[in-house]
Amino acid sequence: MMGLLKGMGVTLKTMSKKKVTYQYPDEPVGMPDRFRGVQHFDPEKCIVCNQCVRVCPTDCITLTGRKHPDPGKRGKIIDTYDINFEICILCDLCTEVCPTEAVVMTNHFELAAYSRDDLFKNMEWLHENNTEIRSENNVNAKR
Amino acid sequence: MSAMTFLGPVVLLLLVLGFVTIAILFERKVLGWMQGRVGPVQVGPWGLLQTVADVLKLLLKEDIIPGKADRILFKIAPVIAFVPAFAVLAVIPYTDRIVFADIGVGLLYFIAISSITTIGILVGGWSSNNKYALLGAMRSAAQMISYEIPLVMSVVGVIMAAGSLNLTEIVKAQESLWFILPQLIGFVVFFVASLAELNRTPFDLPEAESELVAGYHVEYTGFRFAFFMLAEYVYVFAMAGLTTVLYLGGWNPLFGWTFLPPIVWFAAKFLLIVFILFWIRATLPRIRLDQLMQLGWKVLLPLALVNIFLSALFKEVSGIGNFF
Amino acid sequence: MIRTEEMLLNVGPQHPSTHGVFRLLVKIDGEKITEAEPVIGYLHRGTEKLAEDLTYTQIIPYTDRMDYLSAMTNNYTIVHAAETLMEVEIPERAEFLRVIVMELNRIASHLVWFGTYLLDLGAVSPFLYAFREREEILDLFNELCGARITYNYMRVGGVKWDAPEGWIDKVKALADKMKEKTEEYDRLVSGNEIFINRTRGIGGYSADDALAYGLSGVNLRAAGVKWDLRKDRPYSIYNRFQFDVPVGETGDLEDKYRCRMEEIRQSIRILDQAVEHFPEAGPVMAKVGRVIRVPAGEAYTQIESPRGELGCYLVSRGKDKPYRLKFRRPSFNNLQILPKLLKGENVANLVAILGGIDIVLGEVDA
Repeated sequence: MMGLLKGMGVTLKTMSKKKVTYQYPDEPVGMPDRFRGVQHFDPEKCIVCNQCVRVCPTDCITLTGRKHPDPGKRGKIIDTYDINFEICILCDLCTEVCPTEAVVMTNHFELAAYSRDDLFKNMEWLHENNTEIRSENNVNAKR
Repeated sequence: MSAMTFLGPVVLLLLVLGFVTIAILFERKVLGWMQGRVGPVQVGPWGLLQTVADVLKLLLKEDIIPGKADRILFKIAPVIAFVPAFAVLAVIPYTDRIVFADIGVGLLYFIAISSITTIGILVGGWSSNNKYALLGAMRSAAQMISYEIPLVMSVVGVIMAAGSLNLTEIVKAQESLWFILPQLIGFVVFFVASLAELNRTPFDLPEAESELVAGYHVEYTGFRFAFFMLAEYVYVFAMAGLTTVLYLGGWNPLFGWTFLPPIVWFAAKFLLIVFILFWIRATLPRIRLDQLMQLGWKVLLPLALVNIFLSALFKEVSGIGNFF
Repeated sequence: MIRTEEMLLNVGPQHPSTHGVFRLLVKIDGEKITEAEPVIGYLHRGTEKLAEDLTYTQIIPYTDRMDYLSAMTNNYTIVHAAETLMEVEIPERAEFLRVIVMELNRIASHLVWFGTYLLDLGAVSPFLYAFREREEILDLFNELCGARITYNYMRVGGVKWDAPEGWIDKVKALADKMKEKTEEYDRLVSGNEIFINRTRGIGGYSADDALAYGLSGVNLRAAGVKWDLRKDRPYSIYNRFQFDVPVGETGDLEDKYRCRMEEIRQSIRILDQAVEHFPEAGPVMAKVGRVIRVPAGEAYTQIESPRGELGCYLVSRGKDKPYRLKFRRPSFNNLQILPKLLKGENVANLVAILGGIDIVLGEVDA
């Protein structure tokens, strides 16, 4: 009987304590800087090295590039860059390998959509997703 | 026959429906607060319209009757479950004037009618043609048999002390001292047995969510499901009312504070009981069926019998005999 | 003459107490179970086969999804296997970070067990209380590696991120807070008569049975076998820490409960020591190549996950991908004793016994 009463005491005490839940959709929940959210992509920086495509464990990134239009310059420029968020697991490996930090993480995580098609994000969308970009991305490259 | 005979019950029904609406919200709020949450807040100010929205949803939902169900029994079961729940409210004296049926055997009537609900549950569980529902219904029947007897036995002490089965008389007998003190054993037995009668935690075996998914009403949807829920909460209303009447002195004031009207006193005590029910639900795990039987037959029933014996004994002792 | 027959009850795959998509076929006679047959595989993704086509770094996010309640230990098992074959020296700071996150994850995982177990038994509040504290641990992980469940934190040769500014202090504060909270849980549950009645003497088995069925972790220790890989086969830097291994006697549900709650306290003890001796500075990654090639050979590494012995058998042919990878998943092995435990039990004990084993379906089906 004492055990029951002790338990009742705990619940009664909690009743007057501060509530711990977030009022999420009404008040946004801040995420820490390292949070792995939807990627931001900067076509200017991309050198079409294809490393992100190769490292992606779920093969959700597809990209195409072409030769630099200026014959004097070497290298390639990006044509299309798509991430399929149906299968992207936001594992952070693409940003980890990107040598120029062209693809970086942001703090955005609200991806819910009514159609699967909406989850297929192209280069323009990823480029416009340019707020709350994570400050450190490729820690291994800087080392 | 006055207009009150017809109008009274309608008013009461509306009142009870209002109570159920508020009670469900209150329960969810209390549960929320006790779990570090805020409870429903989205629908209406402070979540006040949450239950209304839920009921509307239930009414608008498709009415599904399983193909292999016994259609007639399936339809009739919620009615059998609900009608007695409402019928027992007639005898509860809210104040010395507000009582709908001041019948001589009020207490007996209450207990007799309330056990009919179990038949509704049994019928509902059986006619659903679902194994979980059947198990829940069987548990409910077993539980009813184990707890009805201690419940009746525990109130015998009160009946002896008041010398009447009439609930108004019982309240009047408590003007000097509430029965909760002299009948403490009886009160404890009654409270535990009433929890079991209400199918509430820790005795919510018939609808044990984690074991039987939802127990006897697993196949019910829409307004039929709503009727089962309604029956459950009307019983909360009725049992809290009965506990107040039998042990907490009904509308009698505490410390002679007669400046508060009797109905307020009744409501205050009544709400205290309802709160305790919710509080218990927030805390305790579920008891197991065989342990529940053991508790009923081996602990509560002997305790209730001891209580009767002691009440009869103390009644003959001069000095304290007046209180028993 | 009344004819009675057994009833076949299909528990799951959608059932509130199977903790995932797990199906159990039970034959019941009244409320007594005469036979139980687990059906698994609803969450099978073929992690082991997929791993043969993935580089070592790519496998790590897949391991997150096996035992999703303690992804850190899963991360560790694959990197540990690769590191064993490669014979790399892990920097001190990385080892400390690994131990800290694994112990935090152990606490979080046991908290989930505590909450859901009480929910199985019909108590609602402990679930919310346990998740309230777990949330703080997840917030710490979020700050450290940017995710709350699927951390993808460890790398072959170290860890991906160094601890951010002030993170270690937060771990310390959390460890202190958890000490109070475990006492609150004790007050709420441990002495509760209904809880004791529902767990004491139920679902017990002998130490011999436990060994014969290949149980590990708390399921083994509750039966009285003192076997904790952190002590008996020390990995990482566990040999530097002082902690006790709680053991039960009868293997019943109460023993399992007490063992798990005590393990939370012991994990807090380890955290305290790890925070105290945490190296001031230093690298968190060893010098390994950009492309990880594991020398040819075979290695079996075993670590103590919250659920038991989590093993990783790695066969390498010297490529950047494993030739064959096999995970010994403790939930799967521990589940094998379930039909034996359920036979002759009351239906009401079914969820209690199933919950007591502490399975994670992502791990059972892998």
